[in-house]
Amino acid sequence: MALRSAYSALGGPSLPLKARTTPLAFQLQSRSRNVSSRALSSTPKASQAHTAPTDPPLQSLTKEQKQFLESALRVNHAGELAATLIYTSQTPPIVKAHPHLRPLMKHMYDQEAGHFKTFNHLLAKHRIRPTAMYPVWHAAASFLGWSTGVMGREAAMACTEAVETEIGEHYNNQVRELLKWDEEAKARGETLGEDLEALMTDIRRIRDEELEHLDHAVEEDAKMAKPYEVLNGVIRAGCRGAIWVSERV
Amino acid sequence: MSSPMALRTLLRTPPALRPLLLQTSRAAYHSYDHAEQPVYREAERTILSSALAHVPTHGFTQEALTLGAKDSGYLDVSTNLFRKGTFDLVKYYLVSQRMGLKDRIQFPDENIGVGRKVRGLILERLRANVDTGIVTRWQEALAIMSLADNIPASLRELGALADEMWFLAGDTSVDSSWYTKRASLSGVYAATEIFQTTDQSTEFRDTEQFLDRRLEELRTVGGTVSGGCTGESTAE
Repeated sequence: MALRSAYSALGGPSLPLKARTTPLAFQLQSRSRNVSSRALSSTPKASQAHTAPTDPPLQSLTKEQKQFLESALRVNHAGELAATLIYTSQTPPIVKAHPHLRPLMKHMYDQEAGHFKTFNHLLAKHRIRPTAMYPVWHAAASFLGWSTGVMGREAAMACTEAVETEIGEHYNNQVRELLKWDEEAKARGETLGEDLEALMTDIRRIRDEELEHLDHAVEEDAKMAKPYEVLNGVIRAGCRGAIWVSERV
Repeated sequence: MSSPMALRTLLRTPPALRPLLLQTSRAAYHSYDHAEQPVYREAERTILSSALAHVPTHGFTQEALTLGAKDSGYLDVSTNLFRKGTFDLVKYYLVSQRMGLKDRIQFPDENIGVGRKVRGLILERLRANVDTGIVTRWQEALAIMSLADNIPASLRELGALADEMWFLAGDTSVDSSWYTKRASLSGVYAATEIFQTTDQSTEFRDTEQFLDRRLEELRTVGGTVSGGCTGESTAE
């Protein structure tokens, strides 16, 4: 363990060529075990030299960057799970009292379900552990949605407003971080790679949709909710707490 | 020793950053654009892989390590690279077999269901124990892994193997079942592997039947290995 970290400190950033050839060498070696190691250690370097020149080289992800992506995607997944559940449990009482809100609730729910699907896919693809608090968030989000739905239209919209404010800010921070990586990579003449660029586009789109929900909520008198300050404060604090926990477990 | 040092660095970092340091296991984001960093350095890898060739005759011992170092042209003393001695040899075997699993197995029919794929993966991983000839010595490795110092790393490796198997089987669930699936597969795999070390039957038929009984139990208990195991979990 200590050796490995010492190695990454030595061989990682200071020897870029070596750092780029060794993972390839490793993969090839584990693939064909019976070929002599002498022959293998020379071939990947040669093939690297042939393929490298045209495209800008890929920036290799550091351990910190991987950890950031892991916890960011896990939080996003947990957040979208909560969002779909909040809308699911808000919709029946709200639509019953105010039938004209049916299309809006459906529109917001459909978008959240789409986001949830995106992150389900991303987590499975990048082999990220979902949050261990999954059942807890499930219960908490359903309760939050149901209770604000029962309290009436304004309270439900205040809940949406509080949640989307936190989430929008959270997504904004992620986009900012990814943009920073992109700049750093460009400064070194490298690219982030297709996956990360697609991720950045996805997160931007999702953030815009979340902020659109925020606007809808404000239009629907979210600020008129009776104990507005209390609702807003409690829900936002809850969101921040949930984000904090989901980043870790 | 590494643990007091680790504790000191932990206490020196600002409290807000400590949880990040505690997640030392592995950076989990699996990238497709970037090649994975190798787990072992070249020198370690050559010494350990040649040492494994001596395991069937010498067991998981310091002697096997020394002979491995000699074979690959290093001095005897270079086995000091491996602070945990024989456990590093065991761990290298586990890691290399886990990472080699994806090249050992190919599913001709992609639609055979996740449950059957998992069964195939477990059998393939157990077959690797036979192919490398270490199955006769595996009880020694299990003994080394069960020492108090080595338990956390061994369990982590078992979890990583279960994760790899579910990934290769194409399982994409990311809810609470993510945890139960990995836990139950780890249990089944560990039990089957212990059974394998005592199996005297031809071509490890008994191990295969043992595995099928365990999977059958899982299926009846909670349908954890769901969608695919039905009716096909009997021995070939």
